[in-house]
Amino acid sequence: MGKIIAFHSYKGGTGKTLLSINLAVTYAKRGKNVCLFDLDFRAPSLHVAFASEGAECWLNEYLNGTCDIKKVLIDLSQEHGNGGRFYAGLANPTTEAIRDMSAKDRKWEMRALGRLLSLKNTLLNDMHLDYLIFDTSPGLQYSSINAIVSADVVLVVTSLDTSDIKGTQRMTQELYDLFEKKTGILLNKVPAEMLTSESQRESLYKKLNSIHALPILEIIPCFCDILRAGGTQIFAEEKVDHPFTKTLEKIATKIENF
Amino acid sequence: MAYKRAEKNPTQILEKIRESLDRLNEKMDVFIDIQRHNPRGNMDQSITDVLDVMTLLSLPDHLRKTAVTLCKLGQATADQVAEQTKRARAVESGYLNQLMLMGYVKKERRGRKAYFYVEKEEKE
Repeated sequence: MGKIIAFHSYKGGTGKTLLSINLAVTYAKRGKNVCLFDLDFRAPSLHVAFASEGAECWLNEYLNGTCDIKKVLIDLSQEHGNGGRFYAGLANPTTEAIRDMSAKDRKWEMRALGRLLSLKNTLLNDMHLDYLIFDTSPGLQYSSINAIVSADVVLVVTSLDTSDIKGTQRMTQELYDLFEKKTGILLNKVPAEMLTSESQRESLYKKLNSIHALPILEIIPCFCDILRAGGTQIFAEEKVDHPFTKTLEKIATKIENF
Repeated sequence: MAYKRAEKNPTQILEKIRESLDRLNEKMDVFIDIQRHNPRGNMDQSITDVLDVMTLLSLPDHLRKTAVTLCKLGQATADQVAEQTKRARAVESGYLNQLMLMGYVKKERRGRKAYFYVEKEEKE
């Protein structure tokens, strides 16, 4: 049976979208059947990397109960698959849709949770997908907690920022632990000068292990060329020898055995 | 009709008492929780609340596990929930009934089986 992976973070701008796109592509390169969902309804972004043509509906409509999930899926197997299937499901980026999603009541959120939970059957069991990856909103938002409850694995993307560390510690105790999820930390955007030697990397791991009660899956350096690309390139696909791509390979393998 | 009473050793009896006390404690926790959320003490079973993720977060651990499992299954008997949580059927039955008392889940009898659900899926 496949896995649902949710990318989450306490603060915004930690690199969830970049990592979720590149992890999805990394699995696709391995011939896996992958689907990537934009569940960040407050600040949708996957439509920039994956054109929205080809889908009859947005994920918003699926969660509203007005559209079948199959009508949400954009088949990008030709562009990103490697013998396997690759789908994307997008959030509606219009201001009206963002406003609409922010005004949902508790009953709607409860039904949305039911619909996300049912994806395990429709996408993993019936369509035999290997990985369903959720890119979520940061912090304690309904949509992101719904995604966490529905996921098998939660990847928390964090930085060395003190408020981010403290927020992640709080979320570990008050969110991830309560739902008994397999959760791991990806420390992203670490200044390159902090990782110039293996001993530096080891001491940073030790420090992080003493700070966080969750396993540290990987330390990802800050790459200026990724920042310069501004989200227009999928490094895991276009720059196969780049250290970022190699790091994603390691993360993908760790999650396979997580 | 005469029946033969099964003989039990003192350890088994004590274990049984301990289990009953644990269950009683859990029920007391739930009643205290209901009172806290409903200070006027209205225990009307027809009152329904919404089992959204924020509510799930506020539930005690043992009830959260049952509630999340029921959300995943859609509708289920205590047996089906117990199969997922790896806890005893009687324990899950108790927790599901507590969730029902709190207004988060509903129960429906079909023949000899009792089905619990959060919300019936509407036909679209």
